[in-house]
Amino acid sequence: MEWITGAFDYLGGARDEAPPGFPLTLGNWAFWALWWAALTVVIYVFSGQSSKFIYIDF
Amino acid sequence: MKISRRAFLIALAGPLIALAALNHWVGEAAAKSVPRWEMGRVRASTDASVLALGNSLIGVGFVEDSFDQGMQVDKAHGAINVAMGGSSAVEQLLMLRYALDQGMHPRAVIFGFFDFQLTHPLEYATRDLIGNRAMLYYLEPEYARRFYHLSVHDRLEFELMRHFEVFADRGLVWENVERFRRALGQQGMPPEQSNSMGRAIDFAMLEYPSAPEFVAECGRASRNPLIPSVAEIARQAEAAGSKVYFVEMPMPPAHVETFYDEPAWDGYRTHLKTMLGDLGATYVDASHWMPDESSFIDPLHLSWEGSQAFSRRLGEHLQMTELTPK
Repeated sequence: MEWITGAFDYLGGARDEAPPGFPLTLGNWAFWALWWAALTVVIYVFSGQSSKFIYIDF
Repeated sequence: MKISRRAFLIALAGPLIALAALNHWVGEAAAKSVPRWEMGRVRASTDASVLALGNSLIGVGFVEDSFDQGMQVDKAHGAINVAMGGSSAVEQLLMLRYALDQGMHPRAVIFGFFDFQLTHPLEYATRDLIGNRAMLYYLEPEYARRFYHLSVHDRLEFELMRHFEVFADRGLVWENVERFRRALGQQGMPPEQSNSMGRAIDFAMLEYPSAPEFVAECGRASRNPLIPSVAEIARQAEAAGSKVYFVEMPMPPAHVETFYDEPAWDGYRTHLKTMLGDLGATYVDASHWMPDESSFIDPLHLSWEGSQAFSRRLGEHLQMTELTPK
């Protein structure tokens, strides 16, 4: 669990050093491009509406 | 560990490419959105003799074929209903202007409403411009901005967002998330009552919580003018040679008894009739036309059978009163 927490902290930028055995580094730019692209999509998909009522079917 | 500038820029390209792809995908999906679909129907129906405007009450409550039968007009020259759920008078004004701009010359324009829609000032935040209201981003956005208020922050946001479909039509994505969320919420729960527009319980939230609060609002609203977008609908339709009808939509018996049978509502109704009469528009009080609870599917909307009966009666009413060909 500690390792998973560390891995997520590293991915989220909360710590600079990856936990031992973590396969990715900051130098792996392709991974980080995909990672931030995925985060952008997730943020976009879930940030569409903040009101409590929405017509969705009409 | 330091990251090189090149690696940073490549990583930055990831989210930018994702946004560009989303923008393209949402743009394609938005071609089938309700406002654009209605605009397509307008372009294909320029011979229509009656244009029906309003929110979901008239969206589901106005059945074109039944109205045409009541009016005794053939379908080719009958009515077109371009009402949209969750829309305000601003979007309806834009749709009227679009129809007139496409060469439509309706003999009559019908605007269906309930409660205080005609006098309640429109104050939006950009978070409200979602769903069918998203058309404010792309159909005459500068013109429409005169008819509703945005804060300085939201005005800036609006100006930025309206140039990107990924932001303007973000509701198209969100509605799928919302459907999924509701489906998950229903797991192991008693089924919720819902219809073609959404959950019945949501529409109950649009009603006033109590008769005293409604009566108090009648008092305040009776001192308010028509909101500018409503007045413009009446003015611009009349200028185009149309007779304009504002229809107080049929409401379920519970709503009528609790709210519309109050003397204060009568006072407000008289206020509306006077203001609309000054603009040359006609007020049609259809609120008591459907006294049977079974004619409604939720606290506000007519059922399919109720809509057919109402539409036919409205057609007959207009045919018998003022729209009879001379």
